[in-house]
Amino acid sequence: MEPLEREHILIRPEDFDKNFSTLNLGPTHPATHGIFQNILTMHGETIIDAEQTIGYIHRAFEKIAERRPFYQITTLTDRLNYCSSPINNIGWHLTVEKLLGVKTSKRIDYMRIVIMELARITDHLICNSVIGVDSGALTGFIYLFQEREKVYEIYEEICGARLTTNLGRIGGFERDFTPDVIRKIKDFLENLPKVLRQFENLLLRNRIFMDRTIDVGGISAERALNYGFTGPNLRAAGVDYDVRVMNPYSSYDDFDFTIPIGTNGDTYDRFCVRQEEMWQSIKLVKNALENLPEGNFHEDVPEFYLPPKEEVYSKMESLIWHFKIVMGEMEVPVGEVYHSVEGGNGELGFYLVSDGGRTPFRLHFRRPGFIYYQAYPEMIKGSVLSDAILTMSSMNVIAGELDA
Amino acid sequence: MPLYTQVEPPEGYSAPGFFATTLDQVVGLARKNSIWPLPFATSCCGIEFMATMGANYDLGRFGSERLSFSPRQADLLMVMGTIAKKMGPIVHQVYEQMAEPRWVIAVGACASSGGIFDTYSVLQGIDKVVPVDVYVPGCPPRPEQIIDGFMKIQELVGNESLRRRYSPEYRALLGKYGIK
Amino acid sequence: MIQNRLKEKFSNEILSIDEGSDILTITVNKDCIREFILFLKDELGFGFLTDLCGVHYPDKELQLGVVYHLHDLTNNQRIRIKTFTSLEQPEIASVHDIFSSANWMERETYDFYGVIFTGHPKLIRILNVEYLDYFPMRKEYPLEDSTRTDKDDRFFGR
Repeated sequence: MEPLEREHILIRPEDFDKNFSTLNLGPTHPATHGIFQNILTMHGETIIDAEQTIGYIHRAFEKIAERRPFYQITTLTDRLNYCSSPINNIGWHLTVEKLLGVKTSKRIDYMRIVIMELARITDHLICNSVIGVDSGALTGFIYLFQEREKVYEIYEEICGARLTTNLGRIGGFERDFTPDVIRKIKDFLENLPKVLRQFENLLLRNRIFMDRTIDVGGISAERALNYGFTGPNLRAAGVDYDVRVMNPYSSYDDFDFTIPIGTNGDTYDRFCVRQEEMWQSIKLVKNALENLPEGNFHEDVPEFYLPPKEEVYSKMESLIWHFKIVMGEMEVPVGEVYHSVEGGNGELGFYLVSDGGRTPFRLHFRRPGFIYYQAYPEMIKGSVLSDAILTMSSMNVIAGELDA
Repeated sequence: MPLYTQVEPPEGYSAPGFFATTLDQVVGLARKNSIWPLPFATSCCGIEFMATMGANYDLGRFGSERLSFSPRQADLLMVMGTIAKKMGPIVHQVYEQMAEPRWVIAVGACASSGGIFDTYSVLQGIDKVVPVDVYVPGCPPRPEQIIDGFMKIQELVGNESLRRRYSPEYRALLGKYGIK
Repeated sequence: MIQNRLKEKFSNEILSIDEGSDILTITVNKDCIREFILFLKDELGFGFLTDLCGVHYPDKELQLGVVYHLHDLTNNQRIRIKTFTSLEQPEIASVHDIFSSANWMERETYDFYGVIFTGHPKLIRILNVEYLDYFPMRKEYPLEDSTRTDKDDRFFGR
């Protein structure tokens, strides 16, 4: 084993004689949700600069993906932004479908919209309640996490897992929505508005919360675009870029929803944008569920769709398709494709280069968290330490997405 | 059906007004019902830990309502999530900073053995850098599983001798990891 | 049309234009990549750098490739630009002052492939440990850690 080095925590000798102090907001810290290190250069209480070190959870996803057939990569995509795994899974399947030229029917698209918007609600539930926790309001976290448990139950009905869902197939789903699923989703949607309103009463117009978050960690729209921001962080800065509207996928253009934008790009705007996006997602799920058309839950693409187990055990051709798909002997065209979905944090892109083999030649994840976290030193310059903590938690940096 | 579950008292002599037993039983009883964990949450298992601390599964019932983020004040190091080779020295340093008595629980497949990430950058199990008491498998483990692992730690804590830290086996174990 | 304007300005630097795949893909010579991207940003309105990544083609003559994805938010147009460089001299000009988001993306490409971006303020490893002495995403290196001693070959099918 290589020697374990300790150079990550360092105090620079050239800072000793100035009146600057160096503070290590080190990899393990209660307020950094995820592990990344910031070495802050401070003058008294004000922050002058920050030096960032990431990579503490680098799991080499892109290298692993070069050795796995397509269905095994779905389990990797779960662990990118693990607060909203279904969006990553469905995004990956959409990319593969784009490469293979598979078009899905409206029913599958609407089912995908239901699941993706539920996942977006859960992601924003965590982020907003954690902003509350970091400013001292622990109660909101406890109440909102109960709603997340209800969504976990819905995921368990659909795919069997709570957090890392590994959901869906190329060309649809592995099973249809049972009446239990629809009943649970409807009960969840009945109850969530009351809880969200209670949470908003707690924090949204709370004088202390507003004083702590307005004009804290702001960024202008031009700088945000230059830094490659996407998602709620960019929309809080005032740019209405949403991949669901700009490049619609999975029949999002059939639905009518508004994109909330902010003005200052500060922490309060990010909080409000996420809150409003949750209300819009509730509306989307209701619409998609009410207008769910009839049809099959998977496309008729036996070359890529794993057949249901009853058929594998009884019909010969299903057995052969199952064997071919699991061994990875699919006929994949040569080419490259880039597809992006609107993840919980922004534009999650998949750049897939295929050489016709059973595994991708190159798979690159465009992770929004990795790209917008670069702007953090610029956002906290001149603020105090507690503001820096709130800025970081409002940016919703998830370590799995940062390091991949 | 009783309204509550009664826990077996340790062996001892009881009479109205007092209960006499050996010192390490009493200390074990006090320690195991008031463990202060340090949640070292790195990735997806951390979210399941947040669910465990939430209202539905409530780890606070077992006495660990107060999470300590400072290693000096913690009893139990709960490592949840993948530990990369870059993070290895930091886990080691946090473990060294903890005061005796201390225990370690490895939650999740990645912390126990590297999990699904058999790559050049992931530490294949935290028992390469710190001694581990309980391993909880799962990817991620359900909150009930994490609580089950926690209850096994409680058993270990309750039955431990007060002089464990001076015993030769313990010192040899720590010596293997380079901790004095 | 974008292709015509690019062809008249950079006629001898463009190696190929591919309109068949999902996005317009242009392969250029690596020496003009900075002017190319600056032209795309200032004149043609591609103001958003979506992605920057590297690819390793061991069978080609110029093995290391860098792929840029740009996006024009006002007209909703995407474009993909590829450049290639050799393993012996893997230098490409950095675009971090044109797009600030390229800073870490170039560091990641350097970390994984060894592509040196000239003009980058701090080109050191970002995701891997600092003492790693090879570039792991290149095709010749294995995925697993080859220094492990505790793998029992009976269980791993070897």
